[in-house]
Amino acid sequence: MTARFTLLAALAIPALLATARAQGEPTPAVTEDIAPDFERIWNARNVEHLYNRAGFGARPAEIEYALRQRPVVFVKQLLEGFAPTSDPLFIDIPEMPERRNYEEREDFEKAQNAFRAEERRVLTSFAGWWFDQMVEAKHPLQERMVLFWHGYFTSSTRDVRRTAAMVAQNELFRRHALGNFAELVHAIVRDPAMLEYLDNNENRKDRPNENFARELMELFTLGEGNYSEQDIKEGARALTGWRTTDDKTASYFQPRNHDDGEKTILGQTARFDAKGFVDLLLAQPACPRWVARKLIVHFEGVEPDEARLKEYADFLRAQGWELAPFLRKLFLDPRFYREEVRAERISGPVEYLVGSTRRLGITVPPQILWLGAGQLGQRLFDPPTVKGWEGGEAWITTSTLLGRGNMAGMLIGVVKLDDVLREDPLEIEPEEGMMGGDMMGGDSMEAESPAKKGSKRKVDLGQEMSGLKRFTSEMYFPRINLTARMQRAKVARDMQIVDVLADELLPVPLTEASRAALLTFLRAERSTLSLEDGKLLTAGVKGEEVLRRLAHLILSLPEAQLG
Amino acid sequence: MSLSHLDRRTLLAASGLAGFALLSDRANGAVKLWSSPALAQAGDGRVLILLQLSGGNDGLDTVVPFADDAYRRARPTLGLKKGETLPLDDYRGFHGSLKALRRHYDAGRVALVEGVGYPDPIRSHFKSYDVWHTADIRGRNAGDGWVGKLCDAAFKDVRNPNLVVHVGANVPYSLHSTTHPAASFVNPRAYRWAGGESETEAYEKAGGMEAESDPRAKPKKREGESSLDFLRRVLADGQSSSEQVRRAVAAYRTPIEYPPNEALAQSLADVAALVSGGIGARVISVEAGGYDTHTDERNRHDQLMRTLDAALGPFLDDLGRSEAGRKAVVLVFSEFGRRVAENGARGTDHGVAGPMFALGHDIKGGLYGKHPSLEKLDDGDLIHTTDFRSVYATAIERCFAVKHERVLGAKYPLVPYV
Repeated sequence: MTARFTLLAALAIPALLATARAQGEPTPAVTEDIAPDFERIWNARNVEHLYNRAGFGARPAEIEYALRQRPVVFVKQLLEGFAPTSDPLFIDIPEMPERRNYEEREDFEKAQNAFRAEERRVLTSFAGWWFDQMVEAKHPLQERMVLFWHGYFTSSTRDVRRTAAMVAQNELFRRHALGNFAELVHAIVRDPAMLEYLDNNENRKDRPNENFARELMELFTLGEGNYSEQDIKEGARALTGWRTTDDKTASYFQPRNHDDGEKTILGQTARFDAKGFVDLLLAQPACPRWVARKLIVHFEGVEPDEARLKEYADFLRAQGWELAPFLRKLFLDPRFYREEVRAERISGPVEYLVGSTRRLGITVPPQILWLGAGQLGQRLFDPPTVKGWEGGEAWITTSTLLGRGNMAGMLIGVVKLDDVLREDPLEIEPEEGMMGGDMMGGDSMEAESPAKKGSKRKVDLGQEMSGLKRFTSEMYFPRINLTARMQRAKVARDMQIVDVLADELLPVPLTEASRAALLTFLRAERSTLSLEDGKLLTAGVKGEEVLRRLAHLILSLPEAQLG
Repeated sequence: MSLSHLDRRTLLAASGLAGFALLSDRANGAVKLWSSPALAQAGDGRVLILLQLSGGNDGLDTVVPFADDAYRRARPTLGLKKGETLPLDDYRGFHGSLKALRRHYDAGRVALVEGVGYPDPIRSHFKSYDVWHTADIRGRNAGDGWVGKLCDAAFKDVRNPNLVVHVGANVPYSLHSTTHPAASFVNPRAYRWAGGESETEAYEKAGGMEAESDPRAKPKKREGESSLDFLRRVLADGQSSSEQVRRAVAAYRTPIEYPPNEALAQSLADVAALVSGGIGARVISVEAGGYDTHTDERNRHDQLMRTLDAALGPFLDDLGRSEAGRKAVVLVFSEFGRRVAENGARGTDHGVAGPMFALGHDIKGGLYGKHPSLEKLDDGDLIHTTDFRSVYATAIERCFAVKHERVLGAKYPLVPYV
């Protein structure tokens, strides 16, 4: 990592950072309650680690910038944002057609179809806006927390089926992203998308539905083992009466459907309503432990030990559920920078794609990132279950790992989705034992015609892949110049190119095995162009192409999936 | 069927050992196949193929109760007359377009289970699919998909990444598994890391690991294994799994003609190649969409039936050409049937029960279950006569030699179609 240190010193700082709030301000008053030798670990590796976790990866200049700040100052900026965030997207909410306004059934069907298409379009724009915020990273930690809460307080558009409600929920997460957990839970029990998703519209005095009460305890506040089935039944009664309007754009309390009788929940008897129930849950010792554990596992990627969990849970409660001090403590904790934490976390598809986009320094239509993340297993606004995304190693299957590399290749421009989907170049002659059909099948060998190679095949790509194909083939030209980037870094020889490019594109250091493989590749490609070591950058478009293929390889490495 | 069939089986069980020889042509052996994965596993190696007709297939327009007065009354414009069907008996007939399916029915390769559904049916596409995919009324709250649970029960220690395969864009929740994730691709030829030859060499080297020949290790991250080593292992698995899949498809030769411009038929052609190609897949899933026929059902459903028949007809013929194909069981299902009465737009709305098909060369074809009454309805909907989990249960026991309660969480009477 020392390589980066010296190289980056030569780089200019982008205008955005130059105008960042803390620049030029007098030393802000920040409490110095951190480990006395913390500044000694404030190096490029650890700064990048912090950017990986508290944001979506770092560009070289950003690492340089952070290194020039005192840790407490930089963490304060992380918590407050580096620059004012963009205005929220103005959402034009389509009106839901009502049957009574249509004489003909067919017209109603048509209006419904048009409505759904418009809903989808609005959701796509909003998702695109969100991805832009992540890539721009004016307030990366906020975006990171919005994503965290989306996977924590899950609702899915599959069930909610109302874009306005999903957008409103995202805005709720945004308002409370780094705010107060207690306030967020109180807000979520009135959130229209959540009320719809967890069936609280069906939770009525005369016919309680336990879904919301169960998840509120199991997933949102306490965790399994800290309540009984009876507590769920009683808790469900407390939540009765909260429902959404028919078009799901607002929620309200309907007193006649509320059960205002006495309930006994977790050993306490009172006439609990939704607010009283949530307050009771927040008062349980299990609650701060649950939230602290979720946050630590999300940011560190490994389970905290008991002493550390207790320390952080107690701190969260002592801070009155304020999230910013909690995260400040975490980011200034030397244990957050231990090797196990830095090396073990597998990034999610959104982190991988946004991080790669940022590190490459390219501009990508955000729809590509949205659809791409969906293909890789993280469809925003559509978590697979109420538990959200499982995360960690569950992100990685053979299909998604190959797919991540292909998506990176698409971003760099060396892989065309059309090419991937077209016939595979694998040239295979039938071998004995690999013939389709066996001798017993009754069809003689002579009757077998060769498979229709090269013929146009019709493949049902599905909505997401079709969208990706359209966006990448028609709207996307990667604006990237790796030759210039290497020249700016003042490197030319194979070994330097591999080190610098890998350093800039990877969230964690390159391993020796990968380095050797990249070097072998680069040497071979340079030789093919009949160039001496040190001359690749003089080869124009041919050299650039080699660099891009190298970048594709780098982002396909196991190392690129961490962060 | 009996004698010659038995002989054939015994013979092939022996010749199947040749499967060990299906190794890659790479001299350095960097890519290995798992040692004959198809042979070493639960049950007698049958492959289960799941074909999902998404949108809610109109069962009454698939298997038509033409002789039922109530049917004609409920479907004044959509109803088919006897002559427009392919009668199976005096009461019911296949939709007129299901000619190939009818041919296979006559040959004993089609088991028709009538009136399949579940209690307290849900009419939302998504939520009803969740019930079918988890085999549980709680849907996704019940955990992994039913195939995921099946893998836990039948293939606990098997880590072949091609054990469960989805050919299509969206992996259905039935395959959702924390331990046995499905390999998925819209086109098996595209299931690969898309780099040039020299990049691919570096890519594999950077993985730094060989795919392991030990199929008994768990697919999950191992105790004490670092994330980086886990990723290297999956990278090697991915390269190997990708090569097996593409090789199986590229090497497959068949005289069977599939309609070239139909996606479902092309996907099933690929499935036939995968079944015969020895990649170790035991569950393969395919989805066909467009069954949500609220309007203009006559044209739309006729087209759907033609497409379905044009795909399933050659597919079943093709399966008949290999031992693995002949043992395969195909289940065709949809998230719900449609309402008995047509709506005002010459279509039908979301209903409940419908027919399910089990197809294959080694099944007991014919009629199963009981046609639901068209007179005695529940708020205009059919009342199911067979729980879909009974159909699953049979497949679980016969294809994978696992007690079905272990997968479905409860006991269901079997439907003896296989």
